[in-house]
Amino acid sequence: MADMLKLFVNGEEVEVESGKNLIDAIGAVGIEIPHLCYHPALGADGNCRMCLVGIEDGRPPLVPACKTPAMEGMRVQLDTEKIKKIQRDIMELELINHPVDCPICDQAGECKLQDYYMEHDLQESRMRVPQVKKSKNLDFGCGVVHDQERCVLCGRCVRFTRQITGTGELGIVNRTDTARVNIFPGRPLDNRYALNVVDLCPVGAMTSKDFRFKQRVWFMQKDEGICHGCAKGCNIYIDHNREKYKDDVIYRYRARHNDLVNGYFICDEGRMTYKNENDNRLTEAAVNGLQVSLAEAVHAIQQALTEAAKPMMLVSPNSTLEQQWAVKRLATLFGATCSGYSDAYIREGDGDDYLIRDDKSANRKGLELLEVDSDKAGFEAALADCDLVISFDNDLFRFESNDELKPVLAAKKVIAISSHTNQLTDLGTVVLPVASYSEYGGCIVNEDGILQSFSPAVRKNEAPVDVLEVTRMLGGAVGDSVQAWPGMRTTVPVLADVQPDLIPAEGLQLSMSEEGHVSA
Amino acid sequence: MHEMEVKILSEKFDIENAHLLEVAKDHGAYSTLEKLFSMAPGDVTEEVKKSGLRGRGGAGFPAGVKWGFLPKDTGKPTYLAVNSDESEPATFKDRYILVRDPHMLIEGIIICCWAIGCHDVYIYIRGEYTSQVKVLQAAIDEAYAAGYLGEKVAGQDFRIDVTVHRGAGAYVCGEETALLESIEGKKGQPRSKPPFPAVEGLYGCPTIINNVQTIASLPFIMKNGAQAYSAYGTEKSSGTHLFGISGHVEKPGMYELPLGLPLMDVLEQVAGGVWKGRKLKGVIPGGSSTPVLTAEEAKTVMLDYESMAEHGTMFGSGGIVVLDETVDVVKLVENLIYFYHHESCGQCTPCREGLGWMKKITRKLLAGEGTMADIDLLRELCDNIEMKTVCVLSAACTMPVRSYLDKFRHEFEAYAKDRANSAPEKVELQRN
Repeated sequence: MADMLKLFVNGEEVEVESGKNLIDAIGAVGIEIPHLCYHPALGADGNCRMCLVGIEDGRPPLVPACKTPAMEGMRVQLDTEKIKKIQRDIMELELINHPVDCPICDQAGECKLQDYYMEHDLQESRMRVPQVKKSKNLDFGCGVVHDQERCVLCGRCVRFTRQITGTGELGIVNRTDTARVNIFPGRPLDNRYALNVVDLCPVGAMTSKDFRFKQRVWFMQKDEGICHGCAKGCNIYIDHNREKYKDDVIYRYRARHNDLVNGYFICDEGRMTYKNENDNRLTEAAVNGLQVSLAEAVHAIQQALTEAAKPMMLVSPNSTLEQQWAVKRLATLFGATCSGYSDAYIREGDGDDYLIRDDKSANRKGLELLEVDSDKAGFEAALADCDLVISFDNDLFRFESNDELKPVLAAKKVIAISSHTNQLTDLGTVVLPVASYSEYGGCIVNEDGILQSFSPAVRKNEAPVDVLEVTRMLGGAVGDSVQAWPGMRTTVPVLADVQPDLIPAEGLQLSMSEEGHVSA
Repeated sequence: MHEMEVKILSEKFDIENAHLLEVAKDHGAYSTLEKLFSMAPGDVTEEVKKSGLRGRGGAGFPAGVKWGFLPKDTGKPTYLAVNSDESEPATFKDRYILVRDPHMLIEGIIICCWAIGCHDVYIYIRGEYTSQVKVLQAAIDEAYAAGYLGEKVAGQDFRIDVTVHRGAGAYVCGEETALLESIEGKKGQPRSKPPFPAVEGLYGCPTIINNVQTIASLPFIMKNGAQAYSAYGTEKSSGTHLFGISGHVEKPGMYELPLGLPLMDVLEQVAGGVWKGRKLKGVIPGGSSTPVLTAEEAKTVMLDYESMAEHGTMFGSGGIVVLDETVDVVKLVENLIYFYHHESCGQCTPCREGLGWMKKITRKLLAGEGTMADIDLLRELCDNIEMKTVCVLSAACTMPVRSYLDKFRHEFEAYAKDRANSAPEKVELQRN
């Protein structure tokens, strides 16, 4: 717990954390100081002047809150006429050269200029002279489109490329009211985190080419989720909407703050994985290429299991702990080999030292905790030995690999329970569609051993069943997330005390030491 | 030479080739070094404090006190940055020192370095001073060759290296922290203070920034003592100052005068009075950013920091501009705003957006399209912008503009197309 100190805001005593600036310290107790340029991940710049606050008996009496550390006994004034007038004046000056094209601006609805205008300004424009003209619709690369006229020159995007990615593609050129954010000629944005500038931009100056004009933000439902693009488990917002007569569709992911995992940002690749939740989905169950009902498909699987001499069940490194546990238990029930082999999810050398990991699966740590063997040799031996392969959403051929397995699999009966169409579903005699991670909930453990839980966000019109539900229909004992936990708690020591409902928002760091693993 | 004038800083200005080391030495350059190195650095600072020497860049902060702000034993180097950006309109004093007596400046640098324990000096010279920079650099080269700069200054175990850094044409780089940013190779934008440069300046190290004239005043103080210097001027505004008198006077030029003289006496006796027998309209006392004085106010003001403050203006840079009765104040204000708008670094919202707005409103007035409400708006904008920014550039524009609006409002109203209307249009605030 950080040291606390007491100060006064508008005469009322509040207790805040020390070592923070006034915006963060006072913001933590629910009092917002308006600001545009300050961002906790990028530090204080002090250029927007929106956060000017009065300090009673202060020297100077007027300070930018972003640059001012909270001090014991400080008397901060936010509601004096003087401060309110300053906020109104700054807003007026921010807006005189702003195009106010909110009706066609993607930021409308989540724009700081709009919010602050409503909160602090609300006056009619006094601008009776021509506005400054700047460039619009500039393609900055990496899917970022810039509008210089909407820009408030807060410099967050510039500081992001300098301080976070270290690539420095952006700069503010020119002086005075002709100052503008730009790239160097012929040197567009070129980093794997560039789209964060869209999230960072407090106004509609930085927009995503992918998201532009697709959806008004107030129509979208914004649910919390966890990116399954790699083993980092970055926290995201899943922004989705079911338009009239249509299905629930995801329009974008945005970074969600979590100091323990990803800070304030996510990578572009992960951000774009939302498309995979909408597209290439397996929607119909089929047996031998003929469309069947869910019950018929389940029946066909049951039959195959009865007929099989040596079945093998494949667990996905993307599935939740609960799903993995349910499949493992089902395998035990049917005397099947259980494998988590999933080397195809790993893109060697693709990761970096920031957020991107080589492993493109979200819960490989789960397989380790539950002691599901993911070894290639073990898998190949079991595969040679078996006559039935049932994959529980494990995409054996992800990233165009494992081609040598195809002839081997061709000789086996393959059942693909899958959220997406892929090369394995092409091989399957029985295919059965299941929900993907934006549609179910559960717990996953990231590469660093942080246990996080998430809830379903998207509800499709014809909602596919969860892997857990499939295992139940096949006769497994674990039929939902809750039923999975007693078994996992007794088997996995590090999970012994975990209450899935009580996992903190930022996740739970599991002790991943050797002795912490399953005994036997 | 008028009897009011003195020759302290300008002693060698009229000597031919005084910018050359040989000539300068014949006239006493570097003669204070022996005394300097016999003194403890702290005593040098004390002597400068006693002299009452104030910063000649415009703010008038006591030089010795500024040096005293340097933290002790930081383990970091201390830097000296000599501000030679002289960009304030109507200011032309430092250029005389740079060209006519650069060795006085170098000697002053040595004195300052010894006092504050500095070994690395940057002279930030405005980019437009192309011939001045050549003379200065030649003088520095000569000083190096003669052993006044370099590893062993005047044979002492004390190193001083001087680097001349040329600006690239930005007025704002005369602001001390923008100047530091510029030296560091960054865009010249002022830094938020605190931290102040004395604590965290150039490359994050303790830094003293002094104006050329401030540093150039040190050899005289060193040679003749603090009392000899403070014998000139007033009690609080001691010493002499190089005044650049321009505008509508008979004899414009650079004059060295002790502080505290009556402005009108100087204008009439030294500068020959308002030209062409015209009447005085007003006086800009110390560079374009200082609020204007009306002819009436000019009668009672003295050329010192205190008297200027009492008259609601500032001493500034000593750049006095005389305005005769023919001056169109609105055109003058348009020119003034044009300059400060052009030179705004664009960092802070109020200055970046506001000055352009003010310029357009003024132009609208000049075009005969303006209204009484525009004049009120212009006046209000001065208040809304001023002191809401990181640096004082916005105030350098709004302070004088406000003074013209308040003191010569009728001239603005004469441009308003609705001036006949009795009640000025008022923009009502709409509130929910």
